[in-house]
Amino acid sequence: MRYPKVFYVFSANRSRIYQRKRRLKNPMATSKGSFTVEDMKNVQINIGAVIKEEEEWDQPMGPYPKPNVATLRDWDFKICNRYKIMYSPADDTCTLCTYGPCDLTGDKKGACGINMAAACGKIVLVAVLMGTCAHTAHGRHLYHWCLDKFGDMKFDMGSEILVNAPLTRTILGTKPKTLKDFGEALEYCEEQIVQLLAATHTGQEGYYMDFESKSLHGGMIDSLGKEICDMLQIVAYDMPRGAADAPLVEIGMGTLDQNKAVLIAYGHNLAAGAEAMIYTENNNLWEKVDIGGVCCTAIDLTRITEAGGQSKVPANLGPKAKVAGAMGWWRKMVRAGIMDAVIVDEQCVFCDVLEDCQQRHIPVIASNDKIMLGLPDRTNDSADAIVEDLVSFKMPGVAILDPVKAGEVAIRTAVAVKPKRAQFKKESVFDEQQFKDTLAKCTQCNQCAFVCPPHIRISEMIAEAIKGNLEPFSTTYEICVGCQRCEQTCPQDIPILKLYEYANREYVKNQKFKMRAGRGPVLDTEIRRVGAPLVLGQIPGVIALVGCSNYPNGTKECYDIAKEFVDRGYIVVATGCMAMDMSLYKDADGKTIWEQYGGAFDGRNICNIGSCVANAHIHGAAIKVATIFAHRNERANYDDIADYIMSKVGACGVAWGAYSQKAASIATGVNRLGIPVVVQPSSIIYRRTFMGRTDKPEDWMVIDARDGKMQQIEPAPEAMLYIAETKEEAMLEMAKLCFRPSDNTQGRSIKLTHYCDISMKYFGKLPDDWHLFVRDVKDLPLTFQQQMMKELEEKHGWKIDWKAKKFISGPLRPADVSFDPTNLPRKIRAKK
Amino acid sequence: MAAEAKPKGVDTTKNPIPFEMAQIPGPEMAKTYMPKVIGAIIKKSKRPLLVVGAELFDDPVMFDKMIEIGKMGVPIAATAHSVKGFVERGYLNNVYQIGLHPLTNNLRFSDWMGLDGQGQYDTVIFMGIFYKFANGMLSTLKNFNRDIRRISIDRYYHVNANMTFGNMAFTPDDYHAAIDELIAAMKK
Repeated sequence: MRYPKVFYVFSANRSRIYQRKRRLKNPMATSKGSFTVEDMKNVQINIGAVIKEEEEWDQPMGPYPKPNVATLRDWDFKICNRYKIMYSPADDTCTLCTYGPCDLTGDKKGACGINMAAACGKIVLVAVLMGTCAHTAHGRHLYHWCLDKFGDMKFDMGSEILVNAPLTRTILGTKPKTLKDFGEALEYCEEQIVQLLAATHTGQEGYYMDFESKSLHGGMIDSLGKEICDMLQIVAYDMPRGAADAPLVEIGMGTLDQNKAVLIAYGHNLAAGAEAMIYTENNNLWEKVDIGGVCCTAIDLTRITEAGGQSKVPANLGPKAKVAGAMGWWRKMVRAGIMDAVIVDEQCVFCDVLEDCQQRHIPVIASNDKIMLGLPDRTNDSADAIVEDLVSFKMPGVAILDPVKAGEVAIRTAVAVKPKRAQFKKESVFDEQQFKDTLAKCTQCNQCAFVCPPHIRISEMIAEAIKGNLEPFSTTYEICVGCQRCEQTCPQDIPILKLYEYANREYVKNQKFKMRAGRGPVLDTEIRRVGAPLVLGQIPGVIALVGCSNYPNGTKECYDIAKEFVDRGYIVVATGCMAMDMSLYKDADGKTIWEQYGGAFDGRNICNIGSCVANAHIHGAAIKVATIFAHRNERANYDDIADYIMSKVGACGVAWGAYSQKAASIATGVNRLGIPVVVQPSSIIYRRTFMGRTDKPEDWMVIDARDGKMQQIEPAPEAMLYIAETKEEAMLEMAKLCFRPSDNTQGRSIKLTHYCDISMKYFGKLPDDWHLFVRDVKDLPLTFQQQMMKELEEKHGWKIDWKAKKFISGPLRPADVSFDPTNLPRKIRAKK
Repeated sequence: MAAEAKPKGVDTTKNPIPFEMAQIPGPEMAKTYMPKVIGAIIKKSKRPLLVVGAELFDDPVMFDKMIEIGKMGVPIAATAHSVKGFVERGYLNNVYQIGLHPLTNNLRFSDWMGLDGQGQYDTVIFMGIFYKFANGMLSTLKNFNRDIRRISIDRYYHVNANMTFGNMAFTPDDYHAAIDELIAAMKK
């Protein structure tokens, strides 16, 4: 049935009414301004606004527009029943209310009645909501800022992106036409966040699985918050809209010209950093100033006005900014003395940024009310007065909540303070004698090693340095995550990061690389090109390397993982800190990974999608495979789309440096959409994972949508959230998590080839479980075919017709190219 | 003439501080034991499983010591890519390649039939695994399957184990000697 082209805004009740309507199969909205509700009495409905829906969308409204907290609970429980919720408590106690501390170890309960599983679920939900709030609040800030600065603008993603806000369409069932239209989506996100957070109060939700359903809902809201955020800035700042050939921009501490004043813009929200760039451009100051970004602000600054469209911002501004580095490099950067002023905005900013900068006479401008650092709010003061106070070091920093003024003050301060802080800059780093004297203080007590996240043996490095060997300081420089815990615990007060700086001074100077600027969404045309090979398995999968820089063994692993999969013909996409960190390496020809491969969404290509919020486009690409390639209606149809993706789109995310709660919300959001994620071993601190049991055939039953019959499938994908101990294990698991029941024999053979080949390369043997994924002789990798058939017969008892090269018995199911797996009974195609 | 003092062996009960100092989970924390006690407990176990990780590559002699334990009939779960070390030494008799995460996921269910299909394990012995990850997996077992005894014979004090050594991360010779004593106790 085609849904009426008129709908009504009933504030909070609207989506519930929609859902009720679907259950009754009796549309209540019949014409503009009047309607009936058959089974509701004494109900008053106030119509806030009547909005004429656009005419051109030929999709009927799906079953779940604006789903509420419990709307998609059935889908969540399907996920959780197959992928068992596994908790690894970081704390055996609960201290959230005055009854506590309560010991929950084992089967104990807290005074409120909560058990360990539910207590973990509650913390997971809180963590997911932290991430969701960060992205959504970022979107809310940009919404107001962009409308204030630019006015309302047409939401136009160009002629090659017609499915232009896939998450908004799938979750809300609406198509935004202007930036202002995203206000409705933001209001929806904010309401859901409030409802979810309320459930974490003592005496509210008490069942772990419902906590996880709520977390999955929070993750989905996070994905929508990210989409809103990135769509707003793409349009407002005319960023690339799916440009495979987005420009190469400079990255690395060495790219910042020390003959100029250097301003660092640090955080995630481009508003103030962009104003600094605009001020520099309008005042012809690029000869005097270099602007570098840290963390995702860096990526977004380098995307500004690269699309060549209409904009109120100077054209092609992005490449004039540089990427100083990912978040993990921040403290190393400060100690390297590469900056003269800092402007911080929001998210991922180290809490002691002011202290670090103050010690080195680097003025700090806080430009967003989420991070004010105890600084005086000088928003209403004149720029001249603020610059004077900062340049004369009367105050170490200021808060300026007007991005335009913050940008101007930051540039003027950087230029004016540079000569004044030259002496301080010199004094803030070690000379040779100071370096040696400091090394001599070490007593080899090893207290530092007890707190170092990647377990660097700092005392041993110092012992080597005393002998004149600085190599351990160099080889571990990229492994150090810059947390500074070693310095805090050192009884001798040795500033270990300053030792690192001294030992790596030349490296810092020469840290000069290229990174492809964030390209934004995947084009509809790209989806049309890769849809079939991806669903059939001939492109072995999409590998998404996502954000954050708390790596277990250094930044190089980003490059290694990306290169492994792009070389194998996977579609590799990257965002945030992982995109930045993988840029810091070159091949034998001196090319970074971005120069080695194309930037299209295609096999053997690697795309820099963009910043943290641009992760939404990875969700979006998966949705677009379902809607553009498979013609599924995405409109308000979340579980159907997620079901399609889980069964048919071979994709796997990896957050190898996952550190923040945003990483938790991002992973939870893609999990709800049916995409598995691999994370680094320290991610255990997030407490919750989703793991399948391959020994339980009943967990792997799906419906064949052709006739409604139940069919056992191979465990594909085997897990939804998997923690790997090493990069080698991560890569093997990622290859495995790209298997899907829909793979045809050629596709399965390609995927098995990579799975087995990675195992041979890094494990020295075939994996123990390869046979689980074999349905037909043609599924077997040619390289191993004979060996595998023999093993199937001898070890696993399969019966084989060797002459015909066929399995007589053994596989879980035969390969069947028209098999249509689904987890949703409503997808059964009814026979007439 | 006074008899010579009998050597007591390496003291593995010292330094019971979480290797990552802030890993203080709550009221129930591991106790440290001497190698011969742990060796005897492993020997007495009906269904032990030795779980080893990729840190063995940092101290390759440990592969040989683990193989020695394997040869005494204790099956080995080689997590991460540690199985490569066993492949290189030509020992795969009772070595299973499995990630620590899926392994622990299975271990927490009483109905899991083990890597060999013979039934759930009663004792797991962790060794050579990235500290924070091992700590989290031990926490899962501590809270969600208390029927499995959790032993760490790693060079770290593992707070979520039942039985562990104290920290020996910076005394490799003592640590090697402790493992040798444990193996000797198992052979008795």
